[in-house]
Amino acid sequence: MATSTSEPARRRHAIDLDDFSAAEIMEILETTASMKEVLSREIKQVPALRGRNVVNMFYEDSTRTRISFELAARALSANIVNFSARGSSVEKGESLIDTVRTLQALGADIVVIRHSQSGAPYLVAQHFHGSVINAGDGRHAHPTQALLDLYTINERLGQLRDLQVLILGDVIHSRVARSNLWGLTRMGARVTLCGPPTLIGPAHYWTATWPEVTVSHDLDAALAGANVVMALRLQKERQQAGLLPSLREYTRRYGLTPERLARIGPDVLIMHPGPMNEGVEISPEAATAPNAVIEEQVTNGVAVRMALLYRLAG
Amino acid sequence: MRYLIKNGSIIDPAQRVAMVGDVLVSAGKVEHVYDVADRYSEGGALNDDVEVINARGAVVAPGFTDLHTYLREPGEEHKETIASGTRAAAHGGFTTVCAMPSTCPTHDTAAVVRQVQAIAREQGHVHVEVIGALTVGREGRALADLAELAEAGCIAFSDGGRPLEDAALMRNALAYAAALGLPVMACCEDGRLSAGWAMHEGAVSTRLGLPGFPAAAEEARIARDIALAELTGAHLHLCQVSTAGGVALIRAARERGVHVTAEVAPHHLTLSEHWVLGNLPAGGGGAPAGRTTRSPHPELGVPAWLDPTLLPPYHPSTRVRPPLRTAADLEALVEGLRDGTIDAIATGHAPQSRVEKDCEYGLAAPGISGLETALALVLSLVHRGELDLVHLVAKLTEGPAQVLDRSPASLRPGARADLVIFDPDASWTVDATRFVSLGQNTPLHGQRLKGQVMLTMASGRIVFRRAGF
Repeated sequence: MATSTSEPARRRHAIDLDDFSAAEIMEILETTASMKEVLSREIKQVPALRGRNVVNMFYEDSTRTRISFELAARALSANIVNFSARGSSVEKGESLIDTVRTLQALGADIVVIRHSQSGAPYLVAQHFHGSVINAGDGRHAHPTQALLDLYTINERLGQLRDLQVLILGDVIHSRVARSNLWGLTRMGARVTLCGPPTLIGPAHYWTATWPEVTVSHDLDAALAGANVVMALRLQKERQQAGLLPSLREYTRRYGLTPERLARIGPDVLIMHPGPMNEGVEISPEAATAPNAVIEEQVTNGVAVRMALLYRLAG
Repeated sequence: MRYLIKNGSIIDPAQRVAMVGDVLVSAGKVEHVYDVADRYSEGGALNDDVEVINARGAVVAPGFTDLHTYLREPGEEHKETIASGTRAAAHGGFTTVCAMPSTCPTHDTAAVVRQVQAIAREQGHVHVEVIGALTVGREGRALADLAELAEAGCIAFSDGGRPLEDAALMRNALAYAAALGLPVMACCEDGRLSAGWAMHEGAVSTRLGLPGFPAAAEEARIARDIALAELTGAHLHLCQVSTAGGVALIRAARERGVHVTAEVAPHHLTLSEHWVLGNLPAGGGGAPAGRTTRSPHPELGVPAWLDPTLLPPYHPSTRVRPPLRTAADLEALVEGLRDGTIDAIATGHAPQSRVEKDCEYGLAAPGISGLETALALVLSLVHRGELDLVHLVAKLTEGPAQVLDRSPASLRPGARADLVIFDPDASWTVDATRFVSLGQNTPLHGQRLKGQVMLTMASGRIVFRRAGF
């Protein structure tokens, strides 16, 4: 592997965390703290991105992420417009490349893209002169979610290095898991992937890219020593696709049940990227426990996205 | 017209000939092959009505046969036509291409077959053989009229890249084709195991979050079809083998005496799954690799002139069916060529238009436009010392002929003058925009390759000649 570790002078895109160094992540987390301070003011707005055009390009429905980016852009005084594939020229067969060229011609400076196809943001980046932020592409990456997770853990536990983080559930289909793998391992945390074999796949598929990662199919064993448990959403279609015997069995083996909540104690952070399937991967008791930080994640998400927008536009 | 091709390194695997000499072509046939020693024994009379072609330093070989070509006509002429596809073949040194029935309508009636043959005669630059459809409409439900297709001149039966899921129907197809003395060409893929695939399933697909086509989906289907070939005694030809496990299954079947032959594509021999990563760092837990200009995958033994980092990540040109596999698969495929388990190199030339390729990776149509880069790509194996040149030429000439149970293309006197002259050491840069194929879909755009076709002759007619040669 090439050994160049020098940072680019200025980051242009944020498509995955694979090209973020630990130092850059730390800088973003520090900026996030400043942005959080802005958001705590009565007037939640600074003029940093005044006159910049940000386009939310959402090819997949996601009200939460879209609103989070929208609030972040507005707090920085950017102009933000929402482009939704539904009802647009996309439905009439316009290609992604043509759409990007159109947005370019309309004067977009930053495109925030959510897409069901892994890798779509790279295609956008090849045809767009401005910056591209990935708001989630297929199973591939969700870098702002990972950054907000890193921020939340660091804020709560005061460190990332040497923490034991358990990523639990439908790992194989999860862009959140993949981006967190890059971010957490780069910051020196130890990651265990836990879930049924059908939702993780062979362990060496993961360790080829992330050698320190461990894979477990036994949640109760994996919980021992964990500092953070990150439960992933389980889509009910996974059961219909034959990947699971039943949701009941899934919950029994891999759900954050009240019993497990009691066993892990109050110091273990419970996280979830949302939206939750309460009663499947996480019980209402676990989701609302004092050590659950699920709403903080959402709050921090706006600040993290402000920090990233600021960094790209800066 | 008579041609005297002088001073070439003649490689004619069918005759076990490798020598420096001259080839005299006359009236569409090879008239004589001269060893340097007896070249002038015929006297000076030749010089009067003969065009002399100087082939010094180049290889002169029988024209290549491609067992697996998608010409797209009729039905998808925006991707390729019989005229453009056969012209691309001529540029690549191929003098015969076998047209896959992935057309619309498909080659499932004698009428369509005759139409393709007629267009090929009229507009083709090289010889075109037609592969008949195995099932009606290639739908996998009912056998096509195989005897009618055989009478119309089809040389084999296949449903192209579409796997035949119904094992009982496959058994019947094999039994029926056997009685007609023709092979069934099978693309091996268990469609349930590969459902939704975008690339090879493994470390790279996991890192990129792309749905995978596991090696097992190919291996399981190869195993099934070998068992059915054994049951029926039919000739099964396995198309575009891409996995180490598949090679092992074929080797074992051949040792048992099952009538099974196999082909491999140039890209499956030389390009791995890492090409889908493009210029992304390969991972491994270290610091970000940054944007490198050299190959970041020395472990694959990729020579300096094949550089996957010229591509952006998820480049649709790397999406092909079956997908690019692992370094271990590449090695096993080359070994399969060396030990005779794999009979032929076949391009799987699958031209696509920009509409099918300039899109998200998982939505892009699979396929590589391969005719014009095939020789240079497989020559990289020769330059790396993994395959010898005579063996390579055999896999492009004698091997495919044996699969089709024909007398091999050869430069023996009296044979149809189908031949190619190529310089194995000429370096060039691939420029897809200058392909003569309508399909510019190649992951090799911008790569430096070594080995260039200088002249191609079909039935004694020059169908391609490089400027300046």
